[in-house]
Amino acid sequence: MSMQGSRMQTTGSPPLLEVASVGKSFGALAAVADVSFALRERDILGIAGPNGAGKTTLFNLITGTPFFPDSGRVTFRGTRIDRMAPHRIFRLGLARTFQKEASFANLTVEQNVSLGATYGAGLSGRARERAVDAALERLDLSAMRRQPASSLTVYGTKRLMLASAIVVGPKLLMLDEPASGLTASEVADLQSLILGFRDDGMAILLIEHILPLLFGISERVMVMDFGRKLIEGPPSEVARDQRVIDAYLGGQSEAAHALAG
Amino acid sequence: MKKDWTRIGRIASIVVVLAVAAVAPLVLTGGVAQNLAVLSILYAVVASNWDLTLGYAGIFNFAHVAFFGIGSYVAAIATLQFGVPVWLDLILAVVVVVAVGGLVSALALRLRGIYVALVTFALTQLCVALINSAKDITGGPVGLIGVPDLEIRGFELGSEPHAYFYAAEVLLILSTIAMRWLATSHFGLSLVALRDYEAYAVARGIPARRQRVLAIMASSIPTSLAGCLYAHYLIVASPDVFSFSLTTLLLSMVLVGGAGTIYGPIVAAIVLTVGTEGLHQLGNIRYMIVAVLIVLTLRFLPGGLWSLWTLVPAIRRRRATRVPSPLAEEASS
Ligand SMILES: Nc1ncnc2c1ncn2[C@@H]1O[C@H](COP(=O)(O)OP(=O)(O)O)[C@@H](O)[C@H]1O
Ligand SMILES: [Mg+2]
Repeated sequence: MSMQGSRMQTTGSPPLLEVASVGKSFGALAAVADVSFALRERDILGIAGPNGAGKTTLFNLITGTPFFPDSGRVTFRGTRIDRMAPHRIFRLGLARTFQKEASFANLTVEQNVSLGATYGAGLSGRARERAVDAALERLDLSAMRRQPASSLTVYGTKRLMLASAIVVGPKLLMLDEPASGLTASEVADLQSLILGFRDDGMAILLIEHILPLLFGISERVMVMDFGRKLIEGPPSEVARDQRVIDAYLGGQSEAAHALAG
Repeated sequence: MKKDWTRIGRIASIVVVLAVAAVAPLVLTGGVAQNLAVLSILYAVVASNWDLTLGYAGIFNFAHVAFFGIGSYVAAIATLQFGVPVWLDLILAVVVVVAVGGLVSALALRLRGIYVALVTFALTQLCVALINSAKDITGGPVGLIGVPDLEIRGFELGSEPHAYFYAAEVLLILSTIAMRWLATSHFGLSLVALRDYEAYAVARGIPARRQRVLAIMASSIPTSLAGCLYAHYLIVASPDVFSFSLTTLLLSMVLVGGAGTIYGPIVAAIVLTVGTEGLHQLGNIRYMIVAVLIVLTLRFLPGGLWSLWTLVPAIRRRRATRVPSPLAEEASS
């Protein structure tokens, strides 16, 4: 699958993910309004914006969980997915994590990952075992494989959520604030994991509040505010944009400092 | 070593269960005792099957007891009104109930939470309404009397004093093997995943409605057979099977026994069926006693009777060694 994908990738090839003026309102509140962007294979696009800007809602619209967009189109690998059932979207190779770390707490670590392999990639028997072993190893969870998922730490649970996603070999990984609540060394570990996934051929869509991480690994950054896209561009350009500084970075002298460096 | 002991324990329990199953019908020969035993075994089938959808899948499927009732009516109507041979009605009942179960759950699971309970419970009401309106076929409120003896390859079960008892036991054993197998398979894990965190489960490729509809259809198979056996054994099909009190009794078996265990509801079915009958002299007070016991169990033993098993310290210690405790490395990182 991934080999076929990379052979197809030539200049001018259609984007992996194309989001075209999607919107979603909750009553009078336009949580996401007229947002468009595109992502090519192996791209890392960072998404920043203050709390309540609509970042998580945008992820929800793209993955169809738990609702579809009111308007606009989402195309993934040439297929319209804006009315597609979320389990089918995952099977197409679009995997997401949740902002609040989640697991199937009553199942073991291994069973959590095995479910992804079974229902996301249709694997069974030895092929499933191999895929699960590899994913657990990759996320450093092999030693805890028979423990209940509820026994993991915050970072352990976040890694488990990643393991159950990458076990199917997705083409796009959408991460919703993966670094929140982590220690500095865990953030560093996470950063190298994300770059590793990209090197394996996955594109990454990364919502992140920890700006050094976001600006450090993203090729482009998009900033949202009040449900709208403010700007999209290379990290250095975005960090200098006055609207961004006003809307978002203004209060964060520490962050602004980090970016200037 | 540890694994060997687990294995020996498992083989020992299988031997004990089979021995009890073989001997019980020979010991419990009195009419009342036998009736009670057969009834509790059939309830054990219904309750443990309900546990797959209510306990593991967390679906408020109040159509489950109706599957049992429809099974009994298909057996009675097919044999009495249409002269269907008395083995074919078993197959017919399974087909009808699985179809009804699939249809009702596919419709009900478009809704959520309490509405699922409402729509599935409506099936029970619909059955009662149908029975009352088609008196010629269903016998109306009186029910159908004279359901013929179950006959398998020329052998009439009623001609041998223990045959129904053994048949019910075989059904319970096969049903339990099937339910445990389903519950511990990836299918069962997917039901638990959907129950615990639906948005995450579907984001990992699990089709929510399909899995749940399949769970309801699977659990309706042994349940419908229990209904057939019930009608053939008691010689009647009565609208009482659709009563609210039978639904509450079976529900309490699932909850008191321990939802999400399969075994728990079986134990509770036997305890509660025998218990309510044993207190017969007390009249209606017995229901109050049972109700109080249910409340006490749920208050002080939320995991149900079956959780007593895991509370036994020796077993817990063994469990603890089997599952490595949280690693120090993970805790400190
Ligand atoms: N299911 C929902 N129902 C109503 N309002 C919602 C829902 N989800 C999000 N919102 C609202 O939409 C806005 C954007 O939320 P969100 O996408 O979570 O922001 P972010 O992830 O950028 O912090 C917020 O005002 C939030 O309260
Ligand atoms: Mg968010």
